[in-house]
Amino acid sequence: MDLTILGWGDTGWGDEMFYGALMTLAVAACAYALGIAIGTGFAAMKLSGSVSLRVVADLYTTVVRGIPELLIIYLVFFGGGSVLRWVAKGIFGYGEFIDLPLFVTGMVCIGVSAGAYATEVIRGAVLAVPVGQIEAARAIGMSKSKRFWRILVPQVARYALPGLGNVWQLTLKETSLISVIGLVEIMRQATVGAGSTKEPFTFYITAFVLYLCLASLSNRGFIRAEVWANRGVRTT
Amino acid sequence: MKTKLTIVAALAAAVLAGPAVAKDYKSITIATEGAYKPWNFKDASGKLVGFEIDFAEELCKRMGIKCKIVEQAWDGIIPSLKAGKYDAIIAGMSITEKRKKVITFSRDYLAGGGSFAVMKSSPIAGLKVMVSKVNLKDISAAEQGEIDALNKALAGKTIGVQTATTHENFVRKYLSKDIKIRTYDTQENLDLDLEAGRVDAALASMNYWVPLLKTDKGKDFSLLGPHLSGGVFGDGTGSGIRKEDQKLADMMSKAITSTLKDGSCATMATKWFGYDACSQP
Repeated sequence: MDLTILGWGDTGWGDEMFYGALMTLAVAACAYALGIAIGTGFAAMKLSGSVSLRVVADLYTTVVRGIPELLIIYLVFFGGGSVLRWVAKGIFGYGEFIDLPLFVTGMVCIGVSAGAYATEVIRGAVLAVPVGQIEAARAIGMSKSKRFWRILVPQVARYALPGLGNVWQLTLKETSLISVIGLVEIMRQATVGAGSTKEPFTFYITAFVLYLCLASLSNRGFIRAEVWANRGVRTT
Repeated sequence: MKTKLTIVAALAAAVLAGPAVAKDYKSITIATEGAYKPWNFKDASGKLVGFEIDFAEELCKRMGIKCKIVEQAWDGIIPSLKAGKYDAIIAGMSITEKRKKVITFSRDYLAGGGSFAVMKSSPIAGLKVMVSKVNLKDISAAEQGEIDALNKALAGKTIGVQTATTHENFVRKYLSKDIKIRTYDTQENLDLDLEAGRVDAALASMNYWVPLLKTDKGKDFSLLGPHLSGGVFGDGTGSGIRKEDQKLADMMSKAITSTLKDGSCATMATKWFGYDACSQP
């Protein structure tokens, strides 16, 4: 394995791979944030008394978790673009190609998928908080918002963190799928490097190491967060 | 109610009508894969390079239009063309019937196909070639002469091909019955038997032989006979274009033919592939 081809600057691929890793991290982080927001919203819908909201949320999690992530990307990127152009041409008479911003499209696709998994994790975590505690809080006269922030949120975070850590790892790896729409992240950059130098092993090993670094570093973060969320909880 | 209907009808008409005016091609965007050396790839500074980059720029010059070359992963290269992300694909794409169902192609610029190789020490190694390129699509008398010469040289000999390839289709269809055919699961095994003398000649793609002959492994081999392409070998490599842009495909084809006629395609191909991989004009 010749490591000089992974050098920095114009003579090596090191900088390209590094920027690819930054792109992976950026897409994953944004998609994850979107996923948590979606997950919180849909978990609330699932736990709400309204039947129609529950049906909508159930439909979302069933459909999104049931189809491959790649299909979501194809549907949004190619299908979404076509629909957009069709609307633009038919209604506004604008016949030019409308380019969907790659980063946003990729982030939305991954985020929508992460959201479905996050919904279930957060819903489970809310259900894990003993009802007695909410009743006790109400009994001592806590307001609704106080009950939410002081009783529910800290405990939901504690129960949800391990599951949300999984969702993060999943999100990180799913970003590799958006290389098909042309966003240059780790996987796309590795393919280009492998095809351009005929050294596939070097590039796929580099991609392997980069993913592993991102995953293990973020895993440490989640362990810390879990320790923090579990402070004050007796472990034995 | 009536006005509402009129609006709906007008909208529907606008949607169904589509682009009525023929497009003027003043500037186009061309997609390439960027990961297929030496067709199209990237140097370490991240710049797109390769035969097809040079070739696309030359075509645009000849068509007198401005071109922007963008990279696109192979997986989405046809859907993105259809979605309008770019106007043409120049990415080592073989012209196939299946692809022709969804997009159209310019004429071919690279021939594809293959050639026989023998040991340099073989008695038939010096076989004279009158026509260096034989296109099986419509075989001229001179081209048929080359195939006959091959059959004569190989009469009574054993040849090898990799199994289930276009090369096997060629030997089954065009070689006479007194030539023994051995098939191999891998090209490497075929090379070993060619070296060992178990087969007298081997047929494989030009893009495989030419780089191999320059290495230590292939230094004892030499090519035999003409560069065979077309027909059972497929229709070569062309530029993929949306069906509604037939006019652009015709412009491309014209420009391609002119680069094939004046030898500029051959010059570029020799630079990147080490031999004249271009189609016949």
